[in-house]
Amino acid sequence: MLEARELIKEFGDLRATDDVSLTFGKEDGEMTFIVGPNGAGKTTLINLLTGLLEPDEGSVIIHEKSENGTTERDITDMDPEQRVKTGLVRSFQVVHVFEEMTVRENIRTASLSNHGLTRSFWSLSDEHEEVENDVDELIEQFRLEDVAGDVAETLPHGDRKLLDVAMSFALDPRYLLLDEPTSGVGAREKEYVIETVVEASKSQNVTTVTIEHDMDIVREYADRMVALVRGEVFREGDPSLLDTDDELRRTLLGVTPDE
Amino acid sequence: MSNEDQSEEKETIRLMKGLHLTKPQLALALVGLVVVLLVPEIEGFFDNLQLDTFHNGILWGMAALGLALLLNKTELVSFGHAAFFGGGAYGGAMLVNFVGVDSGLLILFAAVFFSTAMAFAIGWFVADYVAIYFALLTLAFGQLLYAIAIGSPTLGQDEGLRLRSGGEASGDPPSLFGIEFTLQQQGEYRLVLYYFTILLLIASMIVMYRIMKSPFGSALEAIGQNRTRARFIGIPVERYVWGAFTISGFYGGIAGGLYGLRQLSIGPEGTLYVFVSGEILFMAILGGFQTIIGPIIGGIVLTFLLDNVRFLTEHFELIIGILLLLVVFVLPKGIWGSSEDIKNGLMTRVKNPAQLGADVGTLQKMLINAVRNAITTIKIILFGVK
Repeated sequence: MLEARELIKEFGDLRATDDVSLTFGKEDGEMTFIVGPNGAGKTTLINLLTGLLEPDEGSVIIHEKSENGTTERDITDMDPEQRVKTGLVRSFQVVHVFEEMTVRENIRTASLSNHGLTRSFWSLSDEHEEVENDVDELIEQFRLEDVAGDVAETLPHGDRKLLDVAMSFALDPRYLLLDEPTSGVGAREKEYVIETVVEASKSQNVTTVTIEHDMDIVREYADRMVALVRGEVFREGDPSLLDTDDELRRTLLGVTPDE
Repeated sequence: MSNEDQSEEKETIRLMKGLHLTKPQLALALVGLVVVLLVPEIEGFFDNLQLDTFHNGILWGMAALGLALLLNKTELVSFGHAAFFGGGAYGGAMLVNFVGVDSGLLILFAAVFFSTAMAFAIGWFVADYVAIYFALLTLAFGQLLYAIAIGSPTLGQDEGLRLRSGGEASGDPPSLFGIEFTLQQQGEYRLVLYYFTILLLIASMIVMYRIMKSPFGSALEAIGQNRTRARFIGIPVERYVWGAFTISGFYGGIAGGLYGLRQLSIGPEGTLYVFVSGEILFMAILGGFQTIIGPIIGGIVLTFLLDNVRFLTEHFELIIGILLLLVVFVLPKGIWGSSEDIKNGLMTRVKNPAQLGADVGTLQKMLINAVRNAITTIKIILFGVK
């Protein structure tokens, strides 16, 4: 279980995250979707959880199940790369891949890191069987077979998004934080991208936290929904709130129930 | 997988794990090796081909090879790599002068140790920085060392240090592999040192090749292409840059140590000055830093030019400058890195001379576009934006 405890982050006078306390993955594999208007602090929250930003106050905690109950692990002071090793992995709203590498090399590099092999300077990158197997599997799972040898910067946008997420999965995530996995993807491709991502998460029982603007997607896939407004948790609960909670609808969509 | 499968299909000869060459490549490598080994024999036949120049060229090339790891993989430009070349040279010289050691191998060991330790220390400061800040910091550290060397009476100020026994001008050169050399046997000494250099050159090229192809090399490449993403796939970015920087200094140390043994007398001007850093950088770019052989070729070519062109014309710096411009504009991958492109280009033109006509067309278009852009710019400057 991943917990944000009383997180506060200020940028100048602006409180981007205002005393946010949330837990994700009470049950393994839970899919939480974060919604909210622009500037609500959604990305800031993910940045705080993954260590791209340091909170002004509050902490980030991982609850690990062990033989004698659960133990708390405060990871607030950990570097992003250390958090990755605890299974906390993210994607970015703007695709972050290694642009001059091929699809295969991108996933391979992530997988090498996951297997703790990047310190090896005498073996060859492509000779590690366990890595190559993982890479093959991911390429198939994310349906990237046709472009596996293509350089990342030449890919169509939808494939780039998938590659970004595939690299996250190469890290064996326990908690996967996805910042708008469908942003900038055309309407037709959108369904395909989100389905592939959901399928992969379900098959590996990964707890996901996804920022999403498309309410249809939230309704269809979310186990749970969190609405952030002006840095605060505005609503938290079942995605059906999107249809039943008028105040929430007004805030998010700017519509009144009569419309 | 498709890419790798295709390259495997071509008939290749496996030299070692991960190093496969086609037959023409292998033949070329062997010819190259023979030529390199024969340089001492044939230097007398050509006025311009001197063992001196060639040997030094190789050494500068080795330093450029170390720099190429940073340039190629982490995409960091170090403007202070003379620090490690000079550090190696001074490290060896200090052992001779202050400890009185005269074994060439020990001197080389001290050189490598000293420069690697320096790279380790400097790397700790610079690993957090990127782009212009990294370049300026490395430049600053290089200048700092230059200032120390030129200001310190212990280090001989602008006269530098000698690596002859007793640090004296008439001293014997250091011993190599247990062989003692007298002042008169300096020719033999240099010959042994040359072949030893070739051995170390081959070893260091193989090691660099393996590093670049290794998971560590992949991680460095990831850092070069997207630091943030590299971090978020679990790569400890600063530590790896630090490591690459140290390896790079190690290469500078071998080269500088051998240079000291070769010259037997070193000074700050020729090993530590900021222009020397620029030259090492230029060598890597000139030869092509995406390859292993490129920096060595760049080292040999630039050293040859620096040693010879200055006697042909007093404007040699102009010629070197124009050469750099040409390489950047026409051969961005360097001499060796572009050899495949040049070959392919020539082949299509031999098969199809009409292509030459198209080239003229392309050139015309480029010129017309350039003129048009220039006119637009002048218009904007004169009349403002519409």
